[in-house]
Amino acid sequence: MSDTSVSDRSGWRDWLMSTSPASRRQARLGQFYRQWLAFRSNPSAMIGLVIVVALLLIAAAAPLVASQDPLVQDLPQRLQPPSWAHLFGTDALGRDIFSRVVYGTRVTLVIVLLVVITVGPIGLLIGCAAGYLGGWVDTVLMRITDVFLAFPRLVLALAFVAALGPGLENAVIAIAFTAWPPYARVARAETMVIRNADYISAIQLQGASQGRIVWKHVVPMCMPSLIVRTTLDMAGIILTAAGLGFLGLGAQPPIPEWGAMISAGREQIFDQWWVATFPGLAICVVALGFNLLGDGLRDVMDAR
Amino acid sequence: MTNTAISVEKLNVSFGDSHVVKDLSFTVGQGESYGLVGESGSGKSTVLRVLSGLNRDWSGTVAIEGAVQPKLRAKAFHRNVQMVFQDPYGSLHPKKTIDDALAEPLAIHGIRDAQARIGKTLSDVGLPASFRFRFPHQLSGGQRQRVAIARALVLEPSILLLDEPTSALDVSIQAEVLNLLSALRHERKLTYILVSHDLAVVGHMCERLLVMQFGRAVEEMAVGTLSARQPQTAYAQQLLTASEGFRRAG
Amino acid sequence: MQTLANKAEAPLLDIDNLKVDFHTPTGIVQAVRGLSFTLGRERLGIVGESGSGKSMTGRAILDLIPHPGVVGADRMLFRGQDLMSMDRKARRKLRGRHISMVMQDPKFSLNPVQTVGSQIAEAYRIHHKAGSREARERSLAMLEQVQIREPARVYDLYPHEVSGGMGQRVMIAMMLIAEPEILIADEPTSALDVTVQLQILKILDDLVSQRGMGLIFISHDLHLVQSFCDRVIVMYGGKVMETLPAAELADESARSRRHPYTLGLLNCLPDLDRPREKLPTLNRDPAWLA
Repeated sequence: MSDTSVSDRSGWRDWLMSTSPASRRQARLGQFYRQWLAFRSNPSAMIGLVIVVALLLIAAAAPLVASQDPLVQDLPQRLQPPSWAHLFGTDALGRDIFSRVVYGTRVTLVIVLLVVITVGPIGLLIGCAAGYLGGWVDTVLMRITDVFLAFPRLVLALAFVAALGPGLENAVIAIAFTAWPPYARVARAETMVIRNADYISAIQLQGASQGRIVWKHVVPMCMPSLIVRTTLDMAGIILTAAGLGFLGLGAQPPIPEWGAMISAGREQIFDQWWVATFPGLAICVVALGFNLLGDGLRDVMDAR
Repeated sequence: MTNTAISVEKLNVSFGDSHVVKDLSFTVGQGESYGLVGESGSGKSTVLRVLSGLNRDWSGTVAIEGAVQPKLRAKAFHRNVQMVFQDPYGSLHPKKTIDDALAEPLAIHGIRDAQARIGKTLSDVGLPASFRFRFPHQLSGGQRQRVAIARALVLEPSILLLDEPTSALDVSIQAEVLNLLSALRHERKLTYILVSHDLAVVGHMCERLLVMQFGRAVEEMAVGTLSARQPQTAYAQQLLTASEGFRRAG
Repeated sequence: MQTLANKAEAPLLDIDNLKVDFHTPTGIVQAVRGLSFTLGRERLGIVGESGSGKSMTGRAILDLIPHPGVVGADRMLFRGQDLMSMDRKARRKLRGRHISMVMQDPKFSLNPVQTVGSQIAEAYRIHHKAGSREARERSLAMLEQVQIREPARVYDLYPHEVSGGMGQRVMIAMMLIAEPEILIADEPTSALDVTVQLQILKILDDLVSQRGMGLIFISHDLHLVQSFCDRVIVMYGGKVMETLPAAELADESARSRRHPYTLGLLNCLPDLDRPREKLPTLNRDPAWLA
């Protein structure tokens, strides 16, 4: 029994590591597997991956992990220090901080995902189009980008939220609005190099349309650095979201958002340290996780 | 004289202030192999980029198989004229398998029997079928150059523009690639324009050649004139002497 | 002849069983496996294809092998001094002062934000106690020696303002200002046009004959090596296939004595005098590396 499973596994390995794959799919998976092997040999990247995966799992299983409903108030139990009943203690309204931190992962993930799916494609398309087409398209797009880059991110986000009104969705929109310019810059810089490559000339000579060249040949080359950049940026996005929350412009009470929780705990920071500390630690760990993961991905994906 | 495949008349190209090709005219017959020779800055590669349609900023007349070409080439033009680049490490997309590289031109031109054509083209350039799904980084320089040739041939063009196709390769690999190019030309009745700085390579591959300097045509000659060491112009003679290696005075 | 005359004198460089190994996660890659040669006041050519270990040989002599590489040798003597037992600092002192190297592309070897003149002057002041005026004068003289027509103008140019041929001359001037006994030239002319190439070779040639410098000329170009060097080492896969007088490479009658690899390399070159339908290709024999 065990013999067959071992040989099965080595069979898979050989299939993936094959130097003469028999299909497009095998070639792609093999490439992916090789990158995974390189990634796996990097301990700090693996720590980052573990943190991010843990974040995903905790968010998915929040009702099972949390010991209480994060919104239930229990005023007699307010500001209890950490104990077995309340691992991270309770806040000023008697809510269990551990449960709120656990549910907070969901809020954080929602912010991160929404920002990523809006920012990545916008930055990529604007950057690739500007870089590949050049001329006045480039000038117009890049000047717009410069305008956005001219403001500090948090300040610009504050202005947007102030205009749109506080709330989680508006915070996401504001962060997305302020986060795309660096992506466009990176994509443009990459594209400027790529468009002069012989392989792009070769595809032009095959009669491909400009849209096809940008989409099928330039974009795949920009992807790795953008994925890396996104992952590294994730920490910043989380911090901006927390910053907005802290200032009362992000998620509104009683939503368990980490930044807002720190903000609520700042009055008791000297007497009841746990109220602000645990959400702060959560932000710290998750930001670190994304950073480590991003560094690891860069080592693997940018190695050409 | 057979039909004319390529005719270039009074071609001029400028990049900003520098005039890189000046009043260049030449014709290449169908099935002929024609060499463009010169040192860096002679404008020989620029001529290829104009012919292929990569460079759209020029003046003069370029006719391919009798048809005068506009600056922006029609899609059908690219089926007929293809190019092989100098650097086999830069001319293949790093994230595409060989299969992808060969399937793309077929998809662009809506050609049906892609699978069969890719297989046949790979075997024509002497690459084993097991290489089909490899990525460029899994190939040697010579193998990559074979892929680049296969990519150029998969559309079955009649004209191939070769930009220093072997100068980045070791001499033993160069011999293999040159043999392949010669064989393909005979099998498929291709017309070649070969740009090179290496007179021996041009002498081996071409019937006629044009020596260029500073964007101008210096001398057009048959390859016999070259091997007899009888160029008319001093510059061509100088190039030929220099290519023979180092000579110690006295 | 010349090589025989050099034998009598102690060689500049005496290397026995040089090895360069790279320890990679997938195993040991042997870049150079047991190379032995001596260098006198002569032009010694090392030819081979990519991966033959010819460049690594040059770098090993200068102790410039990058990180996972390890150099080993039974003997590596520079004018009788043992290079293997020398410490890093002494090795570094030797480098540049007594043994110098010119690389293929001057663009990557010159500092882009300093004028070429100041870089040459700096090279001089590293090895000689000299004031800035003396260094400048020496540098200008050196530029003139490598046949740069207006040394004073070129002195104040930045590397991007000089042409490839000029840049390579500047590199040579910089390497030679310390008056080294040995110059290692790694494909010094392969990025240059043929006519410029010959001018650079002429400069190197004069340096050997006038100063009595030893030159190791690393190249892939058999024609060039055969016409320029006195002796040639043919390398393949990190091993020496044969060492022979350069004149014998061109000598048709001596062909039967050649190593099959050398012969293969010579034959697969297109030749204006021998038009052939098909070029012979090289069949590599695994026994050569045994």
